[in-house]
Amino acid sequence: MRRLGAANALMLTAMAAFVLLFAYVSADLPDRGDPSAPATTRLTGEFIERTEHDIGIPNLVSAILADVRGYDTLGETVVIFTAAMAVLLVLMRGYKRES
Amino acid sequence: MRETHDSIILQFVVRTFMVPFIFVFGIYVLIHGESSPGGGFQAGAIVAAALVLTRLTVGSEHTDRRFPTHLLMWLASIGVGIYVITGVVPLFFDSPYLDYSVLPLNWFNSVADHAHTNRAMGIFIIEIGVFVSVFSIMVIMYDYLTLRFRND
Repeated sequence: MRRLGAANALMLTAMAAFVLLFAYVSADLPDRGDPSAPATTRLTGEFIERTEHDIGIPNLVSAILADVRGYDTLGETVVIFTAAMAVLLVLMRGYKRES
Repeated sequence: MRETHDSIILQFVVRTFMVPFIFVFGIYVLIHGESSPGGGFQAGAIVAAALVLTRLTVGSEHTDRRFPTHLLMWLASIGVGIYVITGVVPLFFDSPYLDYSVLPLNWFNSVADHAHTNRAMGIFIIEIGVFVSVFSIMVIMYDYLTLRFRND
């Protein structure tokens, strides 16, 4: 078994300290799905109340994805398109265009 | 992959039972994306699965007649174009980019019997754009990954 160097021992100690720190802090986080958590008290109720009336569709996720965050979805589509074009440029090397 | 697959059973099952139902399910996921889980990305992946399945079993020399790669390249660009143009149209009505509420789709209110359908229809239009783009991109990537086997 290889002997651990000083740098590795230092790194392991730091990582263990971080694990303990995160474990300690995570006890203070609200439970998953807690209705009184700060993340769910501000905007979620607004969306649940107003989506059906304002946007006219019952699916909250689609409404947020395509309307409230329309820029984000546009960016996602363009990213997929650009990735496909980059993959094609790599894969097409050495092939002539089919006539 | 260029020729038809040898097994007649595989061909029969894929052509008769799998591909039509996968297509219908993909379109269902696209159209019901506004009222149930689903949407353009998911429907695109499902329809791309059907197209790749036909390419694997029926053979690319048959499928290339209906969905050739250069047509799919056009479709991928058109899908992104639908999204961008849907976003540009509100600019002519003094509204911000991608504000669907001013799209000239008021004629649909009487069809749907609902007062405000512009934003729902805008979402549907861009979902169609995403769908077309995603399914063509996935099939294009399959086509080019198998190019080596097809040109032999």
